[in-house]
Amino acid sequence: MPGATKGGTFTILRETQISHLDPQRVYSFAGLMAAPLYARYLTTWKDDGKGKLTLVGDLAETPGTNVNNDCKVWEFKIKDGLKFEDGRPITSKEIAYGIARSFNPDLTGGPTYIQEWLADTAQYDTAWNFKANKGSLPPGLTTPDDKTLRFEFKKAHCDLPFAASLPATAPLPPDKDTGVNVDNQPFASGPYKITKLTPGVEVVLERNDQWDPKTDPVRHQYPDKFVWSFGTTPDAQANRMIADNGPDQSAVAFNTVPASLISRVLGDAALKSRSLLSPTPSANRLTINTQRVTDLKVRQALNYAIDRDGLIKALGGEAVASPLTTLLPPATLGYEKSDVYPAGPNGNPDKAKELLGGKEVPLVLAVRDDDLNQRLGTQLKNNLEKAGFKITVKTTPADSYLDDVKSKNNAWDIYLDSWAADWPSGAAVLPVLFDGRGIKAAGNSNTSYMNNDAINAEFDRVLAMDPAAQAPEWAKLDKKIMEEVAPAVPLYVDVSFNLYGSKAGGLFIESIFGNVSFVNAYAKQ
Amino acid sequence: MVRFLIKRILTAVLTLTAVSIVAFLMFFALPADPVTGMCPKNCNTERLERVRDELGLNDPKPEQYVNYMKGIFVGRDLGSAQGGQCDAPCLGYSYVNSEAVSDTFARVLPVTLSIVIPAAVIWLVLGVGLGMVSALRKGTVLDRLSVGFSLTGASLQLYFVGAVLQLVFVYTLHILPTPGYTSIFDDPLKWASGLVLAWWSLAFLFSAIYTRLSRAQMLETLSEDFVRTARAKGLAKGKVYGRHALRAAITPMVTIAGLDLGSALGGTVITETTFGIRGLGRTAVDAVRLGDLPTIMATVLISAFFIVLANIVVDLLYAAIDPRVRLG
Amino acid sequence: MSLSPIDEAALTEGPQAPGDAVPEAAAKEFVGRSPGQLAWARLRRDRTAMISGVTVVLFLVIALAAPLIERLYGVGPYQQFQGQLDGAGMPLGYAGGISGEHWFGLEPQLGRDIFIRLVYGIRTSLLIAFVAAVITAGTGVVLGVVAGYLGGWVDAVIGWIIDFTLALPYLIFALAVVPTAALRFYGPRDNPPDWFKMTVIIGIFAAFGWTATARLVRGQVISLREREFVEAARASGAGLLHMAFRQLLPNIWAPILVSFSLALPAYITSEAALSFLGVGMVDPTPDFGAMIFKSIDFMQTDPAYLFFPGVAIFVLVFAFNLFGDALRDALDPKSSR
Repeated sequence: MPGATKGGTFTILRETQISHLDPQRVYSFAGLMAAPLYARYLTTWKDDGKGKLTLVGDLAETPGTNVNNDCKVWEFKIKDGLKFEDGRPITSKEIAYGIARSFNPDLTGGPTYIQEWLADTAQYDTAWNFKANKGSLPPGLTTPDDKTLRFEFKKAHCDLPFAASLPATAPLPPDKDTGVNVDNQPFASGPYKITKLTPGVEVVLERNDQWDPKTDPVRHQYPDKFVWSFGTTPDAQANRMIADNGPDQSAVAFNTVPASLISRVLGDAALKSRSLLSPTPSANRLTINTQRVTDLKVRQALNYAIDRDGLIKALGGEAVASPLTTLLPPATLGYEKSDVYPAGPNGNPDKAKELLGGKEVPLVLAVRDDDLNQRLGTQLKNNLEKAGFKITVKTTPADSYLDDVKSKNNAWDIYLDSWAADWPSGAAVLPVLFDGRGIKAAGNSNTSYMNNDAINAEFDRVLAMDPAAQAPEWAKLDKKIMEEVAPAVPLYVDVSFNLYGSKAGGLFIESIFGNVSFVNAYAKQ
Repeated sequence: MVRFLIKRILTAVLTLTAVSIVAFLMFFALPADPVTGMCPKNCNTERLERVRDELGLNDPKPEQYVNYMKGIFVGRDLGSAQGGQCDAPCLGYSYVNSEAVSDTFARVLPVTLSIVIPAAVIWLVLGVGLGMVSALRKGTVLDRLSVGFSLTGASLQLYFVGAVLQLVFVYTLHILPTPGYTSIFDDPLKWASGLVLAWWSLAFLFSAIYTRLSRAQMLETLSEDFVRTARAKGLAKGKVYGRHALRAAITPMVTIAGLDLGSALGGTVITETTFGIRGLGRTAVDAVRLGDLPTIMATVLISAFFIVLANIVVDLLYAAIDPRVRLG
Repeated sequence: MSLSPIDEAALTEGPQAPGDAVPEAAAKEFVGRSPGQLAWARLRRDRTAMISGVTVVLFLVIALAAPLIERLYGVGPYQQFQGQLDGAGMPLGYAGGISGEHWFGLEPQLGRDIFIRLVYGIRTSLLIAFVAAVITAGTGVVLGVVAGYLGGWVDAVIGWIIDFTLALPYLIFALAVVPTAALRFYGPRDNPPDWFKMTVIIGIFAAFGWTATARLVRGQVISLREREFVEAARASGAGLLHMAFRQLLPNIWAPILVSFSLALPAYITSEAALSFLGVGMVDPTPDFGAMIFKSIDFMQTDPAYLFFPGVAIFVLVFAFNLFGDALRDALDPKSSR
């Protein structure tokens, strides 16, 4: 990093604590941003901070070898010179153990891709019982030698190198596995190790002298210490960053600037220069329950009616959300902008009424019962009723909202939904959200409940292609789904807007999860 | 005295038991399922069901209740998914915070105590002081000012006062640091500077009651015979007011102070939310939002415990201050 | 912020023994003016009481006439004017978008008119506070009279229920009950109407707010119980109802009235506090508490948004408190003045 200086303490302010620190359980945005400081994975993303992403080997030399070119057998060669915080070498054995322990049913919360692919069933923890087979490895996972890790799947999984970039592939020696208590003391393989952890208050990370920068393609070791400090509200975070006093000068507000303070920050050039502003891959849509709203014309009318400009104002403006007219977010590899139902920023109520043929169509819109979503409910009701719909806004407890939306027989017609893919490929978005063959009674990601044979066949066709050739195909498929089914109204992508102190450097919004990355962070001395 | 205490404690135990049963019935009937919150993206029902089984959430409600209470008194084994053996007083394991609930409370209780106790001292001294002054200077500008001040306090909202104070002292004048909690044992100065705004806003709102009350009591006491007698006997003004009048005036206030303190301890939710400090109150609110049942139960029980305790202490203090009160 | 919806302390301050003061004062008057007339005369002479009373009445009129005001003003509480907001959702123009068309400016983000929402907000808040105060006063009086008059084990049981209620943290219960109540009564496709949400909030206040009145009334009744006129009535074989309504209540209505008038502002404040925690009245219903809670965040960027609802709620609560104080003085000449 040009201009980076060593030393000092770098503070990260956040409202709530990180739900899990155990790499096998990390899945929240904060966890995903914190984990690279102390853990290394099989593969990782090299991000230039301007949107250019390259998948590289992390513990592995390369992002995996597709042995038979059928995506069923994958091999990873492990680098030399890798060590844990106590100086022990990291070999394929500890990486394999890390993957094996993610089968432990006690360790909830983490991603499940690799477990499900290895076991070839969603019931992976009954297919292979971790607690009963502690000395062995799950089916399909082998370590032919200390430097090789081999995956053999029953089906093709071309996305394995991407899935391996999640913290769940971090290594752990079996003698350091304390079950759920790893959350309080993860064993470091990255440039920092956790030296103090007070739940709900702070996590202190100090340099891990066993980490060798020569083996690491992305991480650095600039500050002496990183401190995650919890319990500060987003408002207070922004105000502290604005004040820029003492230790806050080398700090960053992890939560985005609250909507109420945005105009203040944008109106002050000095403050604006201390901020990160970037759209994220979190795509928000108004999902249409195609089981209930069966008329394509009605779904198209919704797409014409939507007033994205007004919705974004209700959210807090352009520094909170950026309009989206496609199912895929712009950060997807091979993204192409399109607008199948062009209606201008404020929507076209007349065109919508025309499609509805003069009828008043009643719809139930479900929203969470928090302040923001109730506001959005009001906004959408007023917006859509101008276009000939009759909207009942059904507020529902925030903690059960997602469970309900994900249940096949939910009672609602339209609802707000969002999706942040775990890697920037159309494969991690479109088949997950719109392939109808996997619809279950509950826990669905396909919340439109659309099941279209032609589209399903397209998914199969594209997924079988070489990963590099898939990208443009996903963009075409996105357009096709919108034209032929219109299972949702794309609304906006979240925008990250973070303030930092005058002595904080090296920060950027990374492009996979759209949050502040700390791999280059330093405290100016 | 001893008999009274035993009787009082027995009722208290009965009250707390009733609170625990009501809370258990209410919260474990919530629609939120603690288990679904544990896997954010791709969960399947069969797996959830197994986790639910392991956590004992499928057991009959009475059995769950008995297990819970057993945990508090003798401890219990929560299973490997919940950190294994949990020693008494075991309040369960929080699925949300992934730690034992008793650990959470060991952390947040000192925070809430640090807010409420100093604030109570300020509001008592301020309230009673203003009340006495205005009683002794009845009808003067001073009297009107302090009555007006107390009524203004009573009519304001804590979150409003707190927000204005923060804007002025923290973000505009930069006199105080952002409100927050530091342990008094680590750095007393930082402890005080981080909480002082919370103390004063609470005190401003609560003291109103004491001002009005002590003023009225004081006026009444001053007109009573024993005060006039004492004055006539030639006792110095200060001594009369200090020894006789104040003593009589303070008695009813103890009742209210005890209740206020108990309820403030049980629910500093709004103070904590306003100042972004994470104590008992915020923990409770978050627990309800996230369906974190063991934490909710524990919050209800702990705040009920404080309120009941405060009631007993008040009764005892009452007897100590006012010899006319007989316990029994 | 006290946990109990109405502050215990505000009530215990009532006249200590009204039986002493009011009826005897009345008896000495040859003109035959009732205690009520006497109190009214005293109240009329009190300038503060009159000003605060007029303010309270003004708010009541605004609340009742809200639809009329809407018609005259020409803007509804749900209408959006997002065209008058900038890219960040903030009102264009000065002082939060104040203009001849929008007297108090516009809300940021949704762009609704603040003046007309305030008018309707007063209506919501006053209605909730008034009904809650009536119910809690009723419950408190009944239980207080029963406990105080019958004594013995009835008194012990009611006393215990009071202790029990006080020991329950009401905010936590409110947080848990309010969001789920609708699920029990309404289908998944119906949104409960505003009156249902109000009923739930009133229900919470009713369940937790009666204890103070009950304690107060019980104390008053105990002090009256052994007096001659009560004993005389009892000796002549009067039943419980007769005793309660004809003998006891007429002698303790003064402190009950005071406690009622002080409970009103306490409920307005409590309702606002519930909104602050996200369980009060919610969007799109116009409501005082919700308005203030939302506007506090905008203190730095749109002070006008905070100013109008903030001042309005302060004036309303302050007027109620002043009036309650004055009422107490008028009813009990022996106290403070």
